[in-house]
Amino acid sequence: MIETREVNFAYRRGEPVINDIDCKIENGEFVALLGHNGSGKTTLSRLFMALMHPRSGEVYVDGENIAKKEPADLADRVGYVFQNPDLQILADTVWDEVAYGPRNKKLSEEKVREQVEEALAATGLTDFADVYPRILSFGQKRRLGVAVALALKPRILILDEITNGQDSLEKEQMMNYLRAINEEQGITIVLITHDMNIARLYARRVIVLHNGNLVFDDVPEELFNGTKDLTEWGLQQPTMAALAANFELTAVNAADFCAQLTLKAGDK
Amino acid sequence: MKVTAFTQLITVLAVTALVFILPVQVVSFILVLELVLLLYIKHDRMTMAAIGALTVFTGMMILLQLLFQSTLEVAMLGGLRMLVMTMAFLCLLAATRIQDIAQALVERFHMPCEYAFMLTTALRFVPDFLTDSTATLDAQSCRGYSNRGNVFKRLYSYLVVIKPLVMRAVAKSDTLALSMELKGFGANTYKNMKKQELGLGDYLVLTIVAILSTYKFWIKYL
Amino acid sequence: MSNYAVEFKNFHYAYNGGEVVLKDINVSVKEGSFTVLLGPSGAGKTTMCKAMAGIIPYYYGGRYAGSVEVLGEDTKGRRVSDIAMRLGLMLEDYESQLVSLTAGEEVSFSLLNHGFPPDEVEERMKKALEDVGLPGRENYQLDELSGGQRQRLLLASVLAVHPRVLVLDEPVSAMDPEGSVSLYKLLYKIHQKYNMTVIVVEHNLDYVLPYVTDMIVLQDGSVVASGSFEEAASIAYEDRELRRILPALWQVKLNLEKRDGIHLGMWRKTSDAISELKEKYGRAEL
Repeated sequence: MIETREVNFAYRRGEPVINDIDCKIENGEFVALLGHNGSGKTTLSRLFMALMHPRSGEVYVDGENIAKKEPADLADRVGYVFQNPDLQILADTVWDEVAYGPRNKKLSEEKVREQVEEALAATGLTDFADVYPRILSFGQKRRLGVAVALALKPRILILDEITNGQDSLEKEQMMNYLRAINEEQGITIVLITHDMNIARLYARRVIVLHNGNLVFDDVPEELFNGTKDLTEWGLQQPTMAALAANFELTAVNAADFCAQLTLKAGDK
Repeated sequence: MKVTAFTQLITVLAVTALVFILPVQVVSFILVLELVLLLYIKHDRMTMAAIGALTVFTGMMILLQLLFQSTLEVAMLGGLRMLVMTMAFLCLLAATRIQDIAQALVERFHMPCEYAFMLTTALRFVPDFLTDSTATLDAQSCRGYSNRGNVFKRLYSYLVVIKPLVMRAVAKSDTLALSMELKGFGANTYKNMKKQELGLGDYLVLTIVAILSTYKFWIKYL
Repeated sequence: MSNYAVEFKNFHYAYNGGEVVLKDINVSVKEGSFTVLLGPSGAGKTTMCKAMAGIIPYYYGGRYAGSVEVLGEDTKGRRVSDIAMRLGLMLEDYESQLVSLTAGEEVSFSLLNHGFPPDEVEERMKKALEDVGLPGRENYQLDELSGGQRQRLLLASVLAVHPRVLVLDEPVSAMDPEGSVSLYKLLYKIHQKYNMTVIVVEHNLDYVLPYVTDMIVLQDGSVVASGSFEEAASIAYEDRELRRILPALWQVKLNLEKRDGIHLGMWRKTSDAISELKEKYGRAEL
């Protein structure tokens, strides 16, 4: 469980980036963290992982104040997956890459094997265990990043824009893996994204930041049902939601939407 | 007074020889001149830090020499010379843009353009690598890498930051090489740049350098 | 005399020691078009872009057959820097394509290498920087520019040589929506102003929808559809995998067109769709 109490953050001589944010994420949630560029969403997530420390206010992970901690201390409770998988690949096989974390923690070889196997299975990379990581496709590398974080068996996974730059098929695949991880293993997912459609289809809770302030915290339906002007917060209504809302319908995808429409008489 | 990169290069090279030819008083005077110049051009934190680092380094050199049973006089002289030489390079970097230095090296010293361009490229990528190294450090921290332990442990564990950085550097340099090829980099690159013509200031400085270099010859006649 | 910007004639390609990546490509891009190159990851889009610039196969090596023509001239036997004067390439890792220390030097670089007189270089450099929205920034160091600005800088350096064709490989993959919309606006402006052919690889077709004229769809190294955007989209729609990478708006359009046998308009924005749908459709009674 992650909680922030009145946290504030600003760079050394700059404008405040986070203003007085109170936020509590319980175990097992699937949260999407949205906001325009510069809204503070990435900064907030970094505060969760002790990559940065707030200027004022506190951050608690599982009830413990993490003010004196560094990310390595939290790695077995909170996993953080970055956008660019190339920046961290260091091993010659996918297996060794995922095993780095557990081995670094001096776990028994038995435990290491168990945790690595689980992580690979959860991200669909079991068949790639002996592959040289750099020849994986971009989507596979992103999943590798998730496996690397999962290997330490955290209860919370924070993912920073990991569907950026991928095509719809890959995005869907990644999100399905994340959904499975969340539903089957109860791992809390915090997804930072600017893809409104993903937030709408997969998250069960959406938090919106705007200019460093928390402006929305509720279920996705409330945000995407067409009643709110998202452009005020620098966001855009996802296409399907916009179309459906205009007909006072709800639709998950194009096929779903079309099934709910009929041609008006006399227009053939 | 404008002095071209060429003259500055010549001067710096001359200084490294002059410290051995000229008497101590003149060398010390050059040192003062260098400090004044440096502080006049660029008095930011980085420059101060560089001067400080050089002084410390020189101090260590002097101590080392003393340890090896030199006299104080010899050690101090050696230290002074070292300091003047290194400060000269620092002045060069502070006073001139690296692009101009590269151009002078190709135009006047006939260095192959690829080597000269390396200077520019190195400088161009330094900020990028600093950003990348921060990002890599963050990523590795999140998977359990910690900067603790004794010196050896820390150095060894730092490999997890270095390895991805090196691979990234290799990939970047591939794209860079391709880009340079697409832009037609080659013999013409430096030929077509605006020539750095020698002016009054250059001739003045070069004359002074020439006079000082031939010190041993004319001092007899004074 | 064809007025094709790029023509692929029976082009096959395999990287050194690798499998065949492009299989029998026969496709042409019309001059002055705004063409999008679409396809799942690994389909060969980046390879195709590199082939257009002539760096495949002549810079990378590898095995090939057939030919690629740029503005009527075969890329074979030509220096890549010569082709670059007519077709500008922007790769996904645009940061590493920047070679100089200041903005002005970057834009002038290619011109200097090709022997343009200093006055003309200065003039073109200033104009190019203005065109991309970075006026007067000649002396800015690279690290004084943001990511989006650096991308525009690369664009300026490509534009300075006055090419006829622009090829961009996933230009906005690392960008947020605002930056992406703004870059495509700029590309369109340049496309209109200079009647430049624009070929772009893009996953998120929502960004190109307002501007696109033609599309080439690539799957597993082969072209499965090409032509006007509407034509190519209809063909792509028939494939279960390709259907899902079409923009949601067009998935709706093609679904309804197919099901009800009508023809809907060339929707470029959600509002286009909403107004036409409101006119012609109502909620289905259950």
